[in-house]
Amino acid sequence: MRPRHLSRAAVGALLSLALAACGGGGGFSGGNTSGGGDKGTVRMLVNITPNLTQSYWTELVKPFERAHPGVHVKIEAPTGKSVADTLPQQLAAGNAPDVVEQLTADRTRASQMLDLTDQPWVKGTPLAQQAAVGGRIYTVGVGEQAQSLIFYNKAAFAKAGIQQPPKTLDELTQDMGRLKAAGYLPLQTAGDFVTGLQLLQLADPSLAQSHPQWYQDVKAGRLKVGESLLPHLRLYKSWIAQGYVDKNAMGLKYPDSQTRFFAGKAAMYIMGSWFTAAEATAKKDFEVGVFPAPVQTGQRSPGPQGATMAAPYMILKSAEHRALALKLVQWLVTDKSAVTSQLQQDGNFRPGFDRRFTPLERQVQQILDAAPATVPQGEGYGDDTLPNGFNDAWNTQVQGLYVGRSPEKVAAAVDQWVASRS
Amino acid sequence: MTHATHTKPSRRGEGFATLLMVAPATALFAVMLVVPVGLAVYLSLTDWDGYSARPHVVGMANYAHLFGDPVMRHAATVTLLAAIVGTAGMNLLGLGFAVLVNGSSRANRFLRVVLFYPHVLSALVVGFLWSAILGTTGAVNSLVTAHGGSVLPFLSDPTWAVVTMIAVLVWAGFGVNVVLYLAGLQAVPASLVEAARIDGASRWQVFRHVTLPALGPVVTVNVVLSLVTLLKTYDLVVSLTAGGPAGQTQTLAYLILWNSFHDNRLGFGSAQSVVLMVVTAALALIVTRLRRRGEMAVYS
Repeated sequence: MRPRHLSRAAVGALLSLALAACGGGGGFSGGNTSGGGDKGTVRMLVNITPNLTQSYWTELVKPFERAHPGVHVKIEAPTGKSVADTLPQQLAAGNAPDVVEQLTADRTRASQMLDLTDQPWVKGTPLAQQAAVGGRIYTVGVGEQAQSLIFYNKAAFAKAGIQQPPKTLDELTQDMGRLKAAGYLPLQTAGDFVTGLQLLQLADPSLAQSHPQWYQDVKAGRLKVGESLLPHLRLYKSWIAQGYVDKNAMGLKYPDSQTRFFAGKAAMYIMGSWFTAAEATAKKDFEVGVFPAPVQTGQRSPGPQGATMAAPYMILKSAEHRALALKLVQWLVTDKSAVTSQLQQDGNFRPGFDRRFTPLERQVQQILDAAPATVPQGEGYGDDTLPNGFNDAWNTQVQGLYVGRSPEKVAAAVDQWVASRS
Repeated sequence: MTHATHTKPSRRGEGFATLLMVAPATALFAVMLVVPVGLAVYLSLTDWDGYSARPHVVGMANYAHLFGDPVMRHAATVTLLAAIVGTAGMNLLGLGFAVLVNGSSRANRFLRVVLFYPHVLSALVVGFLWSAILGTTGAVNSLVTAHGGSVLPFLSDPTWAVVTMIAVLVWAGFGVNVVLYLAGLQAVPASLVEAARIDGASRWQVFRHVTLPALGPVVTVNVVLSLVTLLKTYDLVVSLTAGGPAGQTQTLAYLILWNSFHDNRLGFGSAQSVVLMVVTAALALIVTRLRRRGEMAVYS
């Protein structure tokens, strides 16, 4: 009996310990920004992409380290599939970093993040107010990423006799017919996350006009996501039927789609402004142009531009060196050379920060300047958010159009998903 | 009385020594197995999102939602299909190739290395490799379209994608089965085979009536190992299809990771994990029982 009691006690103790560890830094509360001293290691979890490599991040923070002797910034790549996967795992293990890049705060994440609202430097950072949760700022970013952009092959447009980029979705569809007749695949897409993302990017400017309070209306149950996007789903289905997109595109990965566009096989490619960084280094024998995503007939053109925060940073409440983490994040989003470097590296934009622009980037800047407003997209940010995982659920359902599902069925499935998570 | 006072402390000492000796293994077992499983069961009864400090207990709500979830049902079907077809494929190929390379020649040794090689590669690498070969613009389709053919939808058509995924799983995993069957083949008593040959049995008859029954326990181990491995398929899905097209190649393990860490639904993901764990254990037990009954029938 005694050993059995002992083992029960041991298991109980271990379970309690493990459960306590699950809370990560959850026990923290309040916005006290002191602590940790002025020397030590600040751990920063960052997104690693072809543009933002580990060595880029390491080089980026070197000036900060030089200006703060005794401070080391440890760049950490995601150990999971992405930063979004890695952070909860690290929190569960009680091993969260001090600073996290790429994620923005929502009601779930905000509970673990430091409230930055009272920091004076926060107000001047892009989209900080729009990304606020319940009026409190937890996320600060370096710049803006324009989302609703259509990059095009100028040679293909010329060959198809298209003088001006389309302004409405009807014109876009007509142009697709001309491009197909000229021997081009009108629109390049891919599997992965690309299918759903492209349709959201395309829909932003018209959706923001037909439903200006889209997020609020969806949250209040006055509007359904799938229903409101049904016209775009129907349009996309018609493109698949007419061969304006490759019916085998689901067998392509994201990098494949870029490669095919740069190879000159496709005439158009819907993507965010970060695509300009890839364009700047790609080998191609044609000039790339860009125009804002067209709107529905009768709507104002150009419409509001889908925009997301570029290089968003948050500080964990549990940060061991909170004061240092604050200094680092302030430096990352306000220091001219740090900001310019990040904008340059990932093809992002910020008013007042002049950097070397490629001709394509200059066009994107003009599109951003001409847009009457910027609007969140898909899952959104701050208070304008849909349930976590919406973008992926949407992507999966949009891919259903390629495997025989009707737009109505896809819209209904999206609505069912949102309802099940709300 | 003297005898009793002499034995009592020694038994107590023995018991203490036993406790001391089993303590490290018990502690290790508790930390590595009991705690994670207990934690998963506890979390499965909560709505934990991975961020909040204190999860709310929601009882059996996650389980109720799980069994009514069409995405979960589809993933369960795909996983079972992959597990059953994959287990059959891995074992048939494993046994077949083991018989072929069961010898000590240089060629056989070389072939064994070649056959085991895919298993050494990470499943992520295997997935990327095969997507580069079978993707819409992959090596095979480039060759096909260069010769005027149409693109073969290995990864873009839902049915083809599931078949492709299972085929790649078998390719990546059957090397282990070859090695295990080889070990089994080499343990078959030569005297039995020789006796059958002297009795005039053909090669096939020797294999069917002597070698195969003698391999019974090895078959059980292979089938259970393959089944359990395939029920947990995750990383290959990530790199080969990313669950697409339209979520048609999502497996249970893929869904668990996705729900837990991507959608921040660790409570729901834990419920899925618990169900997968129970199903895997049940299937392994059933297969082991059935195989044991078969082996007993052969030997009786």
